Amino acid sequence: MSAYNANWSLMTPEIVLMILALVIFTLDFMTGMSRNKPFLGRLSILSLLATTVLVAVFNRETGQIGDMFVVDGFAMVLKIVILLGVAGVIAISMYYVDRHRDVYQGEYYSLLLFATLGAMLMVSSADLITLFVGLELLSISAYCLAGFKKYNGKSTEAAIKYVVLGGTASAFILYGMSFVYGLTGTTSLVDINEAVPTLFADYPYIMTMAIMFMIAGFGFKISVVPFHMWAPDVYEGAPTPVTSFLSVVSKIAGFGIVLRVFFVGFESVYDEWAFIFALLAAITMIVGNMIAIVQRKVKRLMAFSGVAQAGYLLVPVATMVSLDMTMSMITFYAVAYLLMTLGAFAIITLVTEDTEDDALTSFSGLYQRAPYLAIAMTIFLLSLAGLPITAGFFGKFYIFVGAIQAEMLWLAVIMIFTSIVSFFYYFGIMKQMFMRDPKPNDDQTLSVPKPVSAVVTISLVGTIGFGLLANVLTNYFNNLQWFF
Amino acid sequence: MELDLYFSNYTYVIIFVLFGVALPVVSLTFGRLLRPKNPYDDKLSTYESGIKPTGEAQIRFHVAYYIVAIEFIIFDIETVFLYPWAVSLGQLGWVGLNAMLIFILILALGLGYSWKKRVLEWN
Repeated sequence: MSAYNANWSLMTPEIVLMILALVIFTLDFMTGMSRNKPFLGRLSILSLLATTVLVAVFNRETGQIGDMFVVDGFAMVLKIVILLGVAGVIAISMYYVDRHRDVYQGEYYSLLLFATLGAMLMVSSADLITLFVGLELLSISAYCLAGFKKYNGKSTEAAIKYVVLGGTASAFILYGMSFVYGLTGTTSLVDINEAVPTLFADYPYIMTMAIMFMIAGFGFKISVVPFHMWAPDVYEGAPTPVTSFLSVVSKIAGFGIVLRVFFVGFESVYDEWAFIFALLAAITMIVGNMIAIVQRKVKRLMAFSGVAQAGYLLVPVATMVSLDMTMSMITFYAVAYLLMTLGAFAIITLVTEDTEDDALTSFSGLYQRAPYLAIAMTIFLLSLAGLPITAGFFGKFYIFVGAIQAEMLWLAVIMIFTSIVSFFYYFGIMKQMFMRDPKPNDDQTLSVPKPVSAVVTISLVGTIGFGLLANVLTNYFNNLQWFF
Repeated sequence: MELDLYFSNYTYVIIFVLFGVALPVVSLTFGRLLRPKNPYDDKLSTYESGIKPTGEAQIRFHVAYYIVAIEFIIFDIETVFLYPWAVSLGQLGWVGLNAMLIFILILALGLGYSWKKRVLEWN
């Protein structure tokens, strides 16, 4: 099928979001030099919600545009997750930029929207080139966002580290892709999948090297050990809403391409690469959880917690019994991860901004200052730790059962033990909230601005809702056609 | 086997690298053996198009240079895209025309942005 008579309506959500992002970008520079433009934030949230509706309407049926762009169940679910995640990030940002008047809001919101567009393109790509273009659109916007506190040394340091290491990771991905292209002669993932079995038989070392290069690059984007070293510094230095963007949207989109490349492009040689992911998952869970224990700053703690969560998400990749089951496990956990991490970051943003301190002790006495936030944070932390009646528990439980079904007992055991270790540092935050008195300099009651409380409430309802009614989501996922 | 062809194509690259290394090494070595060696001050000084350097080479450039350089690269790349597009416009038809118009529109918005944000002013 030629790209010229393709069914372009499949791309409607992306096209509309691109136009809306350009409109917001243009509105910003046409309305004067002022930095404070809150209407652009509201407009951005509306654009994202409108795009979410369009995804639900136009991506319901599967299809593709000339081997480059594909719409299927996987793309639809991840796009909705990404769009709602960014809407939450923007809601948190509206509180943040209100306190930091030196942020150019128009640039901030339009960069977030362009990054979203890149993420949508990534999860929808059926071709290495489309995939890389989407990845770079997301990454370059994220580099700029990480350094948005221009006159803050840590933010600048974060941006520089992120751009240098991120560029290196992109180079690794491209180098691996160039090997694959050189051997197969195609960039289309479906064609690659057909060509790789014989290539693996003839040239096992070059193919393994190509795959290792790509895993190294993708591993950076989803912050998997040993490619995670950027995460704590960048998370700490970047503005807190941007940190939530990196840890939620960027990571889920990164997983999107890992799954797309490996389960569409290299599915036929699953046995060749599954073990690499099993090892990565194991060391990621161990190292992420162990280092998180000694963290004294809440954003660094969340960075290592995010590393550990990436490890849990890699377990089903390495322990596939049936593709549909694996996809529904990972996607369920991605939804749970979105809800609990976004909710936690909304509260972290509020607390660290209010106390102007990002140490764990900034949470001291939160139960007395804002009981609702303290209880909500407890639920999110329980979900991250994987305790019952939360979505995080069921996500982890499915992954655990999947690992046992695949007879990867050692991986399941590591997952359980590292989860127990994670209770320790998540309970450290709870101890601050409930068992310490508020610091004398802080206000005795913490007022919660509307956008933040909206994000917290929606995430809370989702976390508990999918914890109680997990089968609603899993039934829907089980009947989905994941890949076109 | 197709793949042997893939690797044998690199033979040219290896030959090219060998020649590239050998040429300066051989010619400079022979030159050294053949020429008389008699350096004096006038001979070593800069001549023809050169001038004597003043100050340090590693100074801080004005940040506006970088911004202008970025602007330049964007429109330089646009030109690179426009040439092959213009040559093959006959085959691309209306789809190709629309695609390039969208591309130019996005770049024009970027130019408008830097204009309004006074990037193009040098003060």
